[in-house]
Amino acid sequence: MSITAQPGQLLKSVEMPLTRVTLARYAGASGDFNPIHYNDAAAAALGLPGVIAHGMLTMGCGLRVVTDWIGDPARVLTYAVRFTKPVVVPAEGEAWVVFTGTVTTVADGVATVSLTATCGEDKVLGAATAEVRLD
Amino acid sequence: MPISDAHAGRSYPATQPYQVSRAKITEFARALGDAENPAYSGEDPIAPPTFAAVLAAAAWDGLFADPELDLALSRTVHVDQRFRWQRPLRAGDLVRSALTIEKVRLRGATAIITISVLLDTPDGEQLCTATSTLMHTQEAA
Repeated sequence: MSITAQPGQLLKSVEMPLTRVTLARYAGASGDFNPIHYNDAAAAALGLPGVIAHGMLTMGCGLRVVTDWIGDPARVLTYAVRFTKPVVVPAEGEAWVVFTGTVTTVADGVATVSLTATCGEDKVLGAATAEVRLD
Repeated sequence: MPISDAHAGRSYPATQPYQVSRAKITEFARALGDAENPAYSGEDPIAPPTFAAVLAAAAWDGLFADPELDLALSRTVHVDQRFRWQRPLRAGDLVRSALTIEKVRLRGATAIITISVLLDTPDGEQLCTATSTLMHTQEAA
């Protein structure tokens, strides 16, 4: 079954609340136990404003804009991001990251999607693009 | 001698094979808030695409353990990340990861390091290439 896509097509956005529990869960799932992702003192020692989310967590969540659309994640061919700003996650409450996606090109059965990720005013991912197989 | 462009092209031996499990796929999908995607459960689940980062990171250990480069993870910032998949990782797959230093640019005490990690099976089937740019700051002497 092939998927139809056209340049300019807006994909359904994903809003993800990140809490300290989210970070602990990702640390366990990924094996990345860098203390800047759970310890305020460790984050402060590196000059960070607070505990920050794993970049790969933000990157992984962002791809949901694409996989929610195409259904089968096996269609994803490439995915690239720049980590432009850290997502600071408070001890209480959550940091909301909003992900959007737009189809930019469609050629040879492959759609390229441009993604954005924002937390408050900050663009936390830059140059985020994914290529997916449509056929 | 700290890392320099003389190290571009250096490769490290592949990691011991890691077996992707259904339980780990479930755990990882849940960590991304994406447990509802049916591809990640059922009879023959695939791993969320960015699970490749977990296996790629296993190969980073060799880089940071190389005494000649004098790198520390605590002085490293992950600048960007790219993946190119040949096929998804599936439950039951045995996966090795092998790291190559592609490029090193020095700016004073800061090194911009491009690394690529090839994920493959012990039979040599290529699964994914994970390319990262790292910014490493040398400790003041």
